[in-house]
Amino acid sequence: MGRIVLKNVTKSFGNTQVIPPLDLTIEDGEFTVFVGPSGCGKSTLLRMIAGLEDLTSGYIEIDGDDATQVPPSERGLAMVFQSYALYPHMTVRKNIGFPLRMAKMDQSEIDKKVETAAKSLNLMDYLDRKPADLSGGQRQRVAIGRAIVREPAAFLFDEPLSNLDAALRVGMRLEIGELHERLQTTMIYVTHDQVEAMTMANKIVVLQAGVIEQVGSPLELYHKPRNKFVAGFIGSPKMNLIEGSEAAKHGAQTIGIRPEHIDVSTTDGMWEGKVGVAEHLGSDTFIHVHGVEGCDPMTVRAAGDMSVKNGETVFLTPQSQNIHKFDAEGLRIE
Amino acid sequence: MSDRKLPRLLQTPAVLLLLVWMLIPLGLTLYFSFIRYVLNNLRRPEWTTPSISNWRGFGNYEFVLNNKDFVLAIQNSLLIVCSILFLTVILGVVIAILINKTFPGQGIVRVLLISPFFVMPAVNAVLWINMILDPVLGLQGIAVGSINDLIGSLREAPVIGAFFSLWPELEPISFRATQTSAYAVIIMVTWQWTPFAVLIFMTSLQSEDQQQKEAAVLDGAGAWSQFRFLTLPHLGRPIAIVVMIQAIFHLSLYAEIEIVSRGNGNKNLPYLIGEFANNNIGAASATGIFAVILANIVAIFLLRMIGKTLME
Repeated sequence: MGRIVLKNVTKSFGNTQVIPPLDLTIEDGEFTVFVGPSGCGKSTLLRMIAGLEDLTSGYIEIDGDDATQVPPSERGLAMVFQSYALYPHMTVRKNIGFPLRMAKMDQSEIDKKVETAAKSLNLMDYLDRKPADLSGGQRQRVAIGRAIVREPAAFLFDEPLSNLDAALRVGMRLEIGELHERLQTTMIYVTHDQVEAMTMANKIVVLQAGVIEQVGSPLELYHKPRNKFVAGFIGSPKMNLIEGSEAAKHGAQTIGIRPEHIDVSTTDGMWEGKVGVAEHLGSDTFIHVHGVEGCDPMTVRAAGDMSVKNGETVFLTPQSQNIHKFDAEGLRIE
Repeated sequence: MSDRKLPRLLQTPAVLLLLVWMLIPLGLTLYFSFIRYVLNNLRRPEWTTPSISNWRGFGNYEFVLNNKDFVLAIQNSLLIVCSILFLTVILGVVIAILINKTFPGQGIVRVLLISPFFVMPAVNAVLWINMILDPVLGLQGIAVGSINDLIGSLREAPVIGAFFSLWPELEPISFRATQTSAYAVIIMVTWQWTPFAVLIFMTSLQSEDQQQKEAAVLDGAGAWSQFRFLTLPHLGRPIAIVVMIQAIFHLSLYAEIEIVSRGNGNKNLPYLIGEFANNNIGAASATGIFAVILANIVAIFLLRMIGKTLME
């Protein structure tokens, strides 16, 4: 069980309010990702759920019970920190067993649970090592192991992959996803990386300056961003936002078109521009095109074998069904 | 090979200086400890100049070992050093943790806490033995006297007087007595060196990882468990440093012992060396060699012990 409800939650540090009143429901078993630029309050929100930060007002419900005043250790939540926060003087075995030891569990039972967790995380060979002797990915797994043994109502992840290198990050992303499939426990995951959000989440919460901009499944956010901020934040490379006369043609203040929804041609098209930088990834080519009115540079995705050179003229045609329209407030026009 | 020559050449003066600095005194001490060498002897004037022809073998060592004060001096050295280490480490950890929290007036409190460390050892000893520990004129004497006066006047009171007349008259302790002068030294040096421990532990506490503590809070660790399983292991290395440095300093305590009791019943090794050095340089040197051996044993023993208990 792990249904978490935030009602009218606010947080102020001194006179600055970092989180204006906020409501959010996280259903049992959901993988929810809080995503937003740094400083948007996503980590603060997570720490408030964990109980590491006090609420300025409002309340938090876990499984129907008011948990606002419940101390962190009794909320039944386990957290994985960005720095892993392993205990450096203890072996992996002791690290994983620490929460159970604090719960005054029998040593034999602790050993059993630690071994089970270690087996499922491929840590059996490292049980007697200290954190300093482990690689980043192994440390991350130990931190997850320490969370698993508690059998929490929900897992909280605070940017757990940002200290890992790119290749390892992809692997760990998959492992956490599989862990969720296996345990079916509520997970709340904080990241500034929209790729992590898109790949792992059942539900994404996009935050900006403490305000929830949109809540929805990854594809909902991709196809129907509620406003310009979400449109620009979700998707990689970023959506091109075009203002001025081109937007006016569609009856909007701003129109948005994703790089993958623009057709590129060297002979004819709607917009004309010059190639700036072309990034060849093999599978795709991202071309930054200069000179298109209202949006400079415009990023487009072309086929991997497209060969264009700097300074060459290209023609771009947006796929009309994929144009997003936004009004003067930046909100989506259907 | 040639590219190593220049760095070596440049290091040479420093290394030579260090060797001269260290080896000459040690060598001379060793040499003097094996010969008869006294400052003043009318019957054997040839002993007053150091010479290899006055060779005495292990005679000086034998003389020192048979001296009635030697065992006492070793015991006292160990008692004083170990007690001071024990007290300063415990007080240091407690105070460092207390002042590590933010509170108003933090800066002033920290400066005040550090200040005993700037008092000269001899001044420290004079202050404590005369102004605080003196059984008549010191704070101790005044405190004991006024408590006795208070109880005395309460004895006159109706009803409760009967109860207070059962109380004994308090006796002030004389710290210049042979049995207690070591405690006076321990008290004053602890007072002076606790700030050193506090300073080192405080810097270490400030580098403690806060996320580890938060993780421990979520794992259900209370204040004591956090201290025992996170803070104390974190302080393991600074504690080892404090113990090592203080062991070196306190094995050579002299001024405090001289001022408190002039060594009456409270000699340590350096004081014994000082006494021998009044005339018998050979015996003083032999004692010095014993002191070097003792210092090494103490250092190795303490470091092992601390390493084992704290680093798990």
